[in-house]
Amino acid sequence: MKEITMDVLKDAAHRLLFTMSEKEYETLLEEFGILARQMEKIGEIQGLESYEPMTFPFPCENSFLREDVPSAPLNRDEALANAGSKEDGQIKLPKVVG
Amino acid sequence: MSYLDCGIVAIHEALVAKKTTPLELAKEALARAKASQDNAFEKILEKEALEFASTLIEPEADNLLWGIPFVAKDNFSTKGIETTASSNVLNGYVPLFDATVIAKLKAAKCVLIGKSTMDELAMGGTGTTGHKGITYNPYDPTHTRMIGGSSCGSAAAVASGIVPFALGSDTGDSVRKPASFGGLVGMKPTWGRVSRYGLFPFAPSLDHVGFFTRSVEDSAILLNALSGRDDMDFTSSFKPVEDYTGDLKAPLKGKKIAVLKEIVDSISDEHLLGLFASSVEKMKQEGAVVEKISFGMDLLQSVYATYIVISCAEATSNDANLDGIKFGPFYGGKTYQEVMFNARTKGFSELIKRRFVIGSFALMRENQEDLFLRAQRNRAKIVERVNQILSDYDFIFVPAAPSIASRLDGASDKLSNEYLIADNHLALGNFAGLPSLTLPLGMENGLPLGINFMGRAFAEKELYGVAKRFEEITGLEGLSTVNEKEGNL
Repeated sequence: MKEITMDVLKDAAHRLLFTMSEKEYETLLEEFGILARQMEKIGEIQGLESYEPMTFPFPCENSFLREDVPSAPLNRDEALANAGSKEDGQIKLPKVVG
Repeated sequence: MSYLDCGIVAIHEALVAKKTTPLELAKEALARAKASQDNAFEKILEKEALEFASTLIEPEADNLLWGIPFVAKDNFSTKGIETTASSNVLNGYVPLFDATVIAKLKAAKCVLIGKSTMDELAMGGTGTTGHKGITYNPYDPTHTRMIGGSSCGSAAAVASGIVPFALGSDTGDSVRKPASFGGLVGMKPTWGRVSRYGLFPFAPSLDHVGFFTRSVEDSAILLNALSGRDDMDFTSSFKPVEDYTGDLKAPLKGKKIAVLKEIVDSISDEHLLGLFASSVEKMKQEGAVVEKISFGMDLLQSVYATYIVISCAEATSNDANLDGIKFGPFYGGKTYQEVMFNARTKGFSELIKRRFVIGSFALMRENQEDLFLRAQRNRAKIVERVNQILSDYDFIFVPAAPSIASRLDGASDKLSNEYLIADNHLALGNFAGLPSLTLPLGMENGLPLGINFMGRAFAEKELYGVAKRFEEITGLEGLSTVNEKEGNL
């Protein structure tokens, strides 16, 4: 496992597209220390590696197909209703290509 | 007491006999909501509730829920009504559709009187982290005790008699722990029993729709209304729906009940232990076989870390769509990345950010085996042990929390055995997806104590049967701050 340092945490936060105060990074570092120790202890549980990672409590019975009928669940106005920046029926963002 | 303080059947009978009307009930619920000092509401829906209740004129004798007022946690999508999950990142967001459970309750002509406060994005257990601040425990007018979370406002609304029932969501214990602190019946059905379409996801492998009531019978009536397959939620089950009120008169005789030794042994509250022991004796006197068994200390101590790693990892992925572009406040920026950066930095509280970083770190390729996959393997081992026990016993029975509601200013020792085991074990029900129900055990210094029964997958009817008899033993049916009781134990 990667060593947990302030720089690693700052990098993780930036990859998640936010930043935090220095004090919060310190709290996080402390929390990580506790969590990492607990996860290490879990790693010592005998026979754990023989278990398949559990992703859902039960298998999902989703082996069905709906009828192939085209539909439009949202019209343009509805799709844009909650967007904070829009123009001419589209979401407006800063230019990506010069 | 008014009709609002009765159970659903009694309210229904009064409505059918035209002794009261949906409009009268809605007005009284709204008046109580507005008078409440517990900060239980994101939004009180006075106009909408009165308009809808006014249309309910001719009672439907075969519909127990007709005209009953209720509250929904603010992470259920409600068409045309702002829904923020108590997070600034969703301020102003107005869903375009109803969650399936909201649609079902609307179809049953229940009257939604408000959206309730919660821990931000459902990621907390104290009822203190939502953008509207702390939600208080109605049993403590001095406002020094928590109601617990994350479904804090829903619990406070039912505990203080504002409504007979409220919707919540439960990813670790977010219905069943506040139910314990609020003297309520808190139900989390089997994973897949109730559709989650329209519930804001937190950690989908653990998320459940749950609900608060003041009686076991009301809880069973609600499950009848809410359960069933929904094609809009591919994880919802095809298993046929039963009449969940069917076992409410079942005797305890012959039921096999396992008490988990390590959980009881880690609790230091003598009053709670005394009430718990009395309740075990009463169940034995009625012919139940109640045995104390060991779960495994190492496994129970590992529940908290396993839960944190899995839930944070799933949450960080789910909430990547909260970017201030399609919905939520837009703060601008020079690039589209900066637009998202500004929205997420300003929109999430520091606690949520810390949780996302934990989740993201656990998912990084170089850390996955030691964190995320290890937690998932451990979840499988824990679930195997739960199911082993439930192959020998009908139910697992434990105190729902180690004490009455904690003080808001209290320091918690997050590494003590009492915290690690007795404060976190309800997540076993989320790991295994099993039906799990909290209900009141008794009172301590005017504050409620709760217990929890967990049953086999899709055995909700049987779970309600044992809970109903337990409720008769304690005498705490209908408990609220309007209808205070001490209990029989």
